[in-house]
Amino acid sequence: MRLAKPTCLVITLALSLLSGCAAVPAWEKGNLAKPSMTFNGDPLDERFTQHIYTSKENASGGYGVGGGGCGCN
Amino acid sequence: MASPAEVRIDAASEGAAQHAFGAIQREVERIETKYSRYRPDSVLSDINRNAGGDPVALDEETAALLDYAAACWSQSGGLFDITSGVLRSVWDFKRNRPPRPEEVDAVLARIGWQRVRRGARSSASPASIALEAGMEIDFGGIGKEYAADRAMAAAVDAGIRHGFVNLGGDIRVIGPQADGRPWRIGIVHPRDPERTIAHLELGEGGLATSGDYERFFEFEGRRYCHLLNPRTGWPVDGPQSVSVVAPLCTVAGSCATIAMLHGDGADAYLREQGFAYLLIDRDGKILQESLPR
Amino acid sequence: MHEKREMNDRPRNGAGDAPPPDKISLLSAALALPGLAATLLSTVAATLPALLSSAAQAEEPPDHSAIDLKYLYYHDYQPGEGRMRISAPSFHLLAPFADRWSVETAIVVDAISGASPLFHDTLSGASGLGVNDLRKAGDVKLTRYFDRGAVGMQFAYSTEHDYVSRALSVDARLSTPDNNTTFTAGAGHAEDDIDSVNLVARGQHKRTTDLLAGVTQVLTPNDIIQSNLTYSIGHGYYSDPYKAIDVRPDHRDQFAWLTRWNHYVDAVDGTLRLSARYYHDTFGIRALALLTEWVQPVASWTITPSLRYYTQGASDFYRDPPFPQGFRIGEPYSADQRLSAFGAITAGVKLAKSFAGGWRADFKAEYYEQRNDWHHLFGSDSKPLKPFKAQFYQVGLGKDF
Repeated sequence: MRLAKPTCLVITLALSLLSGCAAVPAWEKGNLAKPSMTFNGDPLDERFTQHIYTSKENASGGYGVGGGGCGCN
Repeated sequence: MASPAEVRIDAASEGAAQHAFGAIQREVERIETKYSRYRPDSVLSDINRNAGGDPVALDEETAALLDYAAACWSQSGGLFDITSGVLRSVWDFKRNRPPRPEEVDAVLARIGWQRVRRGARSSASPASIALEAGMEIDFGGIGKEYAADRAMAAAVDAGIRHGFVNLGGDIRVIGPQADGRPWRIGIVHPRDPERTIAHLELGEGGLATSGDYERFFEFEGRRYCHLLNPRTGWPVDGPQSVSVVAPLCTVAGSCATIAMLHGDGADAYLREQGFAYLLIDRDGKILQESLPR
Repeated sequence: MHEKREMNDRPRNGAGDAPPPDKISLLSAALALPGLAATLLSTVAATLPALLSSAAQAEEPPDHSAIDLKYLYYHDYQPGEGRMRISAPSFHLLAPFADRWSVETAIVVDAISGASPLFHDTLSGASGLGVNDLRKAGDVKLTRYFDRGAVGMQFAYSTEHDYVSRALSVDARLSTPDNNTTFTAGAGHAEDDIDSVNLVARGQHKRTTDLLAGVTQVLTPNDIIQSNLTYSIGHGYYSDPYKAIDVRPDHRDQFAWLTRWNHYVDAVDGTLRLSARYYHDTFGIRALALLTEWVQPVASWTITPSLRYYTQGASDFYRDPPFPQGFRIGEPYSADQRLSAFGAITAGVKLAKSFAGGWRADFKAEYYEQRNDWHHLFGSDSKPLKPFKAQFYQVGLGKDF
């Protein structure tokens, strides 16, 4: 791990553009294509889990738009 | 040249595809037969058999290939030398132990492209070549790559515009996929043949990879690979693998091989050539020449 | 690591004969080989740099279709009282078509039974009706892919006997040429109709507009991070008609900031997934959710343990039961536990296996507990209420085509 990584993380969390971080070329992206490394996940699992938390906890959002509402009581 | 071959083409019809496959196969077999070390009736065997004797007359194709081999020798400062094949007699990669230094020295006396006499083609006579007694040549490092380019030409002549030819890792693209997207090519991981270490996308041109893992053995903690320095007789020691992208597979192949022969000087050599390349150094770190953004 | 290699340094066959490296171009030499010059396109000189494309991957539709069936089971309880059970079979399909498009659809049928959490014994009679409901929800999404981006549109519909929701949304993403940075934006609108069983809410309506802006950034070959901001503006009916006294504001703006980080560990082929989401809304609720997962493949299995910590501060108008003194008519008020301050922990594990022919199966079990005294960070503690616990399970089967 390069030492620059924690610094990069902080900058990311402040939401600025990251062209300063070492750009990763196409042929090094093998690991990034693994399913566990994507943010998509299992669609039905995520829907169900987010639905439970939204109704039992009252906080929601951050993942996407759409999906509609429900009378979750 | 016994290595796996893969041909992928997108053709307008089944018939067109079959026709192209046939043309490609015939061309590859033609070159293989003509330049095979193992066939006594090949042009190559004929040249080697006459070492120490009279000059051998050459057809245009063979003369051109030898001219190209000479250019590679020149450009590499003598590292790429097609007379170095005789080292095979002392480096047996199935034996798993290095030869004794005296054995290597004995063979070195039979190596040296500068000692080959070539006659230029003239109106009176064809081009010719004469080897000194005990010398041998072979087209390792050129032959397969040349066949890939010739196969691609055969496919184009047969009307194909989309596809690629892959002869044991030496690739020439005929044209991008039917929808215009490039082919996605993986580079084999030099220490794990089941994995790829990198990918690149190619819509045209040639790609060849040279590595220290194609044929090798390890003895007492050191790796001895099949890329032998013609001046010392011992294997090179440097990057694990070099891949080069060039307009012709022939060029990509020689460039990659010469780079590997430069050992730790490979990166400097490649930067000078100006082709896009991927180098995996002795520690497994990836260095690559990226393009202007 | 490398001892001096003398043997390689000693050229032995008349090294004086070795030529100085010539600056000739291999390419021009190779063009003399028969038939090869003709294979070069006239544009090759100009496009040499393009041979090694710096656009890593074009934005592509999925390369195979996939169908998934999943059965979800949820059961919650408070000590001494079984509460709610949900059984939800669901179906999901994702299919690419016409080269640059994909369609995605999901259908979920929730069969809900039991009672929702209640904290006022005074109301137990009224809710004795219990909740027995069937909620059907479906959505369809169409996505069009371009070279470095994609645009999608989704329609979602959900109906249960007291609540109908219709939502339409659009989202777009665009990547930089090197594909290391992707920007995402989205907007959606939902219209909900509420008609409660007990007729407290009749012909009520809620409309919500959501906005999203996000960025995904590749940091290293083994690290990728995503950060999204969402903002939702809602007007309409928010109260819970099944609580005896529950009056909430008629608008709710919600803000969420989610950041996720996936880190791949080569040595064990495992992935660490971390996420943090901060939430704040005009009800006065602030919340933080932290999730960590470890994805570990083992042969054709994948095992993923997970742990989630959630903490929320109480809403401005939440009052601990019993009914407060000095309450003024017209003020918002709720004693709904879900608006109180509490912390919650979920511990789960998922097991997945892939089979020949593109078949997949998975099983997930999660245990969830909510407690007032697990609340940290936001606002003051609420009066301790009975801890709330739940278990949820999923079992799924899928196939790729």
